Amino acid sequence: MSLAEKSALVLGAGGLGSPALLVLASAGVGRLVLVDGRAVEAVDLSRQPLFGEADVGERRAVAAARRLSGLFPAARVEALDRTLDAASAAEWARSADVIVDALDDFVEKFWANDAAVGSGRPLVHGGVLRYTAQLLTVVPGATGCLRCLFEEPPPPGSVPTCAEAGVLAPLAGFAGALLGAEAVRILRGESGTYAGRLLFYESRRARPHTVPVRIRETCPACRAASAARPSGAASPQSRNE
Amino acid sequence: MALSQIEMERYARQLALPGFVHMTQEFLRAARVHVVGTGEVGGPALLYLAASGVGHLLVDDAFDLSREDAASWLYGAGKVGEPRIFAAMSAIRTATSLAKVRPYATGSNPSAALICVSSPAVAREAAEQARIAGLPHVVAFANGEDGEVVSVPRGAPCYQCASRLSTGTPARPGAGAAALGTLAALELLQLLAGVVDGPIGRRVDLPRGLPQLQRTTRVAGCACGRSRAP
Repeated sequence: MSLAEKSALVLGAGGLGSPALLVLASAGVGRLVLVDGRAVEAVDLSRQPLFGEADVGERRAVAAARRLSGLFPAARVEALDRTLDAASAAEWARSADVIVDALDDFVEKFWANDAAVGSGRPLVHGGVLRYTAQLLTVVPGATGCLRCLFEEPPPPGSVPTCAEAGVLAPLAGFAGALLGAEAVRILRGESGTYAGRLLFYESRRARPHTVPVRIRETCPACRAASAARPSGAASPQSRNE
Repeated sequence: MALSQIEMERYARQLALPGFVHMTQEFLRAARVHVVGTGEVGGPALLYLAASGVGHLLVDDAFDLSREDAASWLYGAGKVGEPRIFAAMSAIRTATSLAKVRPYATGSNPSAALICVSSPAVAREAAEQARIAGLPHVVAFANGEDGEVVSVPRGAPCYQCASRLSTGTPARPGAGAAALGTLAALELLQLLAGVVDGPIGRRVDLPRGLPQLQRTTRVAGCACGRSRAP
């Protein structure tokens, strides 16, 4: 199947989602489902290339879809002006070939992870804070997931937000572009660069660091998905080949 | 001049960073960056330099728009055949009114350079001009799904010494082109902001999206070791 016949679910159209969406659309992915429930703010303009000054105040999903359709008329863009919840994430995941986690809320990130593992869809996860970006590709049944690594979202208030700790604008662009390119590799049936390993990149030192992410036997998401998966079912990776 | 209320609001995420004070942002606003190339690598780089507060962008591009240029993030459908430089400037002005963007010309007096072209010969020439002018510069080069970003602060080994892709015929950029462009913007912005904490002169290779840092070294006998820029 060509990329024109593939679909990507992109959760978040902000600092990570904007560049990821642009990479996916420019690569020729046929269907892009973007989910974002916020409005464009002036502070977004420093790191969200889908938006210009005229978009401030508009819903991000609407403005992002308009910009993407203008640049890439062949792409079918479905914009959902919605905040994420666990049930919706699970439903949307089933209709996608790959899921891109460009969210900045930890609870939502775990919902996205659970939806991906439960539906057997590969997930490309990204995060960025201060001068550090992180990426991980979850291939259900083959690699560990966010819950294998962290078990639970951090308690509220224990990790600073981007608004509190800051982020360097082009670092968000770099992480988002890497997210999009990784999703394209997955859709082409190639192995993911971050499959089963969490990449940290500290930009001031240009220093990468990877941590292996294996399936944890006691991970509730992976155990539930494994129990529900019929024996001999095709791996999610092979579904995209 | 102090940052305006609009600038403080726009750049609030950067101003919250350790090592990034108001004066850092003011310094970025005063910077004049010569951007060579606005294609699949240079387009995203240009957007992020403008968005993050670089005040003056001097754009340098001799090509007309082709269908492949949609991957540059700057150009809508229906502009094929127009000069790329004007379309790029128009896109930046739509994105932000806080950056001044104009064509590069003799006497533009840049303070730094970002080079994102598809020709090795043009990249070498532009980098050498920047070195001779004493400008810190960053060169991004794509080769299919591979690529590299070379940072050349003043006095560091030159691009020719540092690059592993400065010769040969490169493959057409793949889906990783934007990652190279954004990484190039990141490296230059950190040089300008004075927050780099690592080797002076470095190359980041990006095979299939996995960054690999290399400290650059001067090739014995290279002119960059004999005639340091002032």
